[in-house]
Amino acid sequence: RWLRFRCKVCLTLTGQRAGPCGQAPNCRFYSGSATVPKVERANVTGIEEVVIPRKKTWDKVAVLQALASTVNRDTTAAPYAFQDDPYLIPTSSLESRSFLLAKKSGENAAKYIINSHPKYFQKDIAEPHIPCLMPEYFEPQIEDISEAALRERIKLKKVKASVDMFDQLLQAGTTVSLETSNSLLDLLCYYGDKEPSTDNHFQQSEKSEELEEAAEENNEKPKKANHQFGNLWRPENNAERIFALMPEKNSHSYCTMIRGMVKHRALVQALNLYTELLNNKLHADVYTFNALIEATALSAHEKPEDKWNNILELLKQMAAQKVKPNLQTFNTILKCLRRFHAFGKVPALQTFREMKAIGIEPSLATYHYLIQLFYHHENHSKGSSLIIYDIMNELTGRKFSPRDPDDDMFFQSAMRVCSFLRDLELAYQVHGLLNTGDNWKFIGPDHRRNFYYSKFFSLLCLMEQIDVTLKWYKDLIPSVFFPRSQTLIDLLQALDVANRLEVIPQIWKDSKEYGHTFRSDLKEEILMLMARDQHPPELQVAFANCAADIKSTYESQDGRQAAPEWPANSLNSIAVLFLRAGRTQEA
Amino acid sequence: MTGTKNNVQRNFGTNSVNYSKKDEQSAPTHGISKETESQESVKENTKKDLLDIIKGMKIELSTVNVQTTKPSSRRQRKSVEATIGSLQKTLEDAPKKRTKSVSPELEAAASAVADFLRFDKQTTKSELLRQLQQHEEVSKTQKDGERTKISVSNIISDMKVAKSATGRVSTRPVHQIQFDEGTDSLMGQKTDDLKKSLRKNMLKGKRLNIFYLKTVTEEAPKTETAPSLWDVEFAKQLAMVNEQPLQNGFAEMIQWTKEGKLWEFPIDNEAGFDDDGSEFHEHVFLDKHLKDFPKQGPIRHFMELVTCGLSKNPYLSVKQKIEHIEWFRNYFNEKQDILKESGIRLN
Repeated sequence: RWLRFRCKVCLTLTGQRAGPCGQAPNCRFYSGSATVPKVERANVTGIEEVVIPRKKTWDKVAVLQALASTVNRDTTAAPYAFQDDPYLIPTSSLESRSFLLAKKSGENAAKYIINSHPKYFQKDIAEPHIPCLMPEYFEPQIEDISEAALRERIKLKKVKASVDMFDQLLQAGTTVSLETSNSLLDLLCYYGDKEPSTDNHFQQSEKSEELEEAAEENNEKPKKANHQFGNLWRPENNAERIFALMPEKNSHSYCTMIRGMVKHRALVQALNLYTELLNNKLHADVYTFNALIEATALSAHEKPEDKWNNILELLKQMAAQKVKPNLQTFNTILKCLRRFHAFGKVPALQTFREMKAIGIEPSLATYHYLIQLFYHHENHSKGSSLIIYDIMNELTGRKFSPRDPDDDMFFQSAMRVCSFLRDLELAYQVHGLLNTGDNWKFIGPDHRRNFYYSKFFSLLCLMEQIDVTLKWYKDLIPSVFFPRSQTLIDLLQALDVANRLEVIPQIWKDSKEYGHTFRSDLKEEILMLMARDQHPPELQVAFANCAADIKSTYESQDGRQAAPEWPANSLNSIAVLFLRAGRTQEA
Repeated sequence: MTGTKNNVQRNFGTNSVNYSKKDEQSAPTHGISKETESQESVKENTKKDLLDIIKGMKIELSTVNVQTTKPSSRRQRKSVEATIGSLQKTLEDAPKKRTKSVSPELEAAASAVADFLRFDKQTTKSELLRQLQQHEEVSKTQKDGERTKISVSNIISDMKVAKSATGRVSTRPVHQIQFDEGTDSLMGQKTDDLKKSLRKNMLKGKRLNIFYLKTVTEEAPKTETAPSLWDVEFAKQLAMVNEQPLQNGFAEMIQWTKEGKLWEFPIDNEAGFDDDGSEFHEHVFLDKHLKDFPKQGPIRHFMELVTCGLSKNPYLSVKQKIEHIEWFRNYFNEKQDILKESGIRLN
């Protein structure tokens, strides 16, 4: 009876489920279960609330990201981007650069062909449709003279065509709306009245970077910097002409003109235009102020104190006009203060504190500028600042997202300072910061990454115990960077100090792989280290083999060069090593 | 051993007036603290004689000669360079300099003690050195003149050591590492103090006082405008900051997914296929479109077969199916006269 009672209750509970089944199966089901008393209790307490959890929506790449997080770097393999044909895997930094360039240029060539002959590539078999694989249209479709045509050309970033269209529109007598003229001005000012470059991003950004750095070093010779920049603002160019032709100008027009002028280094005109803006009782936006600050700082023939006062003036006007400063404002100020060297230190710290007081979180670029200012050119006449420790204390454990185009220069300058101060703890701190979260992406392009790791590894060779150094060696080389010959020489010296010269043949083998076979300074170093002392016999044999190898490289080098260069030291060392190993014949 | 002792004694004898012979002859262990104090008093009372410095250097040479450890030339040079570099870099701090200047002699004394005690020379020596360094940290008074002179003496003594140390053959890094660790720990302690003081400098101090938090956090009513070319290009530049070559195959697949080239995981068969929002019952139950047709007769039969076929057709959309049926309706309406002749009712 007790069983039947339970079954009846079960039926009511499982009404939807069981359907027309009789009592017997249910009884069988429940009587079979071991947890009989628990079941009874559940029946007695009634139907419980079933809480359906809210449906989670996952990002479309969530599964892949979860999988990607399980994969760590393989220290024995080449980086993933290079894994194609094993023969082509690069073994030196030059080769890796040409590998990446080749890959990218292949993609660009394919895209170019597709886009220049779109009629051959119309078949679309992908389901669902993949828009980015279809040919893009770069030619304007609308042919008649109208504002829509002008807007299309502006969207396609065709500078000359849009200027022509604008002129045609004016000749035809139609007025162009303010918005369209503003966007035309944007186009003209951003590209400086030239067509946007179709170069590969790679080369373009590298070139402009080098120009930037060279220009900054020549800051005492502004004319040179102007020439190096190449894309100067010509007076009376199309932008100015169109600006003059516009019947009504709003603040956006002025702002974009000022920004364009500063970008192309027409500094005085920018400042003049700013006064005109103020005269017309218009307001500038924060980007314009940033450009004006840059203009003030770059103007030549003024003392740093005057420039700083001008910048302060601009800031006060900004506050008066109730324009909110943003991160770029402060970064621009610090970038310009960098040029003032010693004078700039106090204002830089003041600016930094202001930034924090307002609540704008400094980005990596901010710290980079501070480091550059305080550790400029490694001169330590009065003792260098210890601000790097403060900076690292602030930054430890934080994750960053890109907020300024110069964010990727931080790690390089931080490691440079660590290497200069010869502080290994600090270097470990910087490296730890690099490895938190996604910060590794801020290491920057190839040459910066190589610089960072070369400095790091040299510091390790200098300051760390040899076992740890060798572990780092195995870890970093070659999967992260290819060592320069100077790095290998540092490693050899560290080995020498630690009396682990038996590793030298291994290093020689590695350096042959990395393309240092014909670096004579490296070979001399190796030979000298091997030949200097007496060693136990099996080591001598290994050394002698190594020496024979080096000798053969010298001989093959003779074939490549007209005048053979056999440094006397190497010859001595080789002879000594052969003698010690009992290979007197070869000696 | 005796040689060292003689040298040591000679050193102390020429150094200052305050030493008594008793100090030298008593067991050096007792004398160490006294020597420290007396040497410190020497420093504070008298100016260091250049002659003493030179003699100190010579003793350093000889004691170094006698010690069992033989630092290699390069390492010595490196450590000397490192120490000279680090000296120049850090702010001038009295205790540190004093340690450096005192240590050659104290090191000599310590080595003498170690020899005397005859147990593990290295550890006693390092322990004594550490003790001495702690003494130095405790006392912080120093005159400026002494500081500069001591730095000069420092450099000279270090330089001399480097020159003499050429020609060393075997390396014994243990000794050097201990020595360097001593200096490093000292520098570490010092930089901690400095760090604390500088931290105040970096974060606290005068600001420009141009902007105020209240005005800045006021949200001005922003008019939403489409991002201009400048904004778009800036965003592109920012995205390029973070660009790195892909690290593994999954990252590549993530990039393809973002570009739209790869199906999204977990795979959904109907990804990207909307079917105009129609449900399955609109495909299958097409009877409602047959309302205008006669309810009986061959036409009805025929249309029911048509709807049966259409309901099983997965390739047409609902609209296309309805159009199909519409076409039949028009067709039958046109052919009304033929149907009338064969006697089929239309309604």
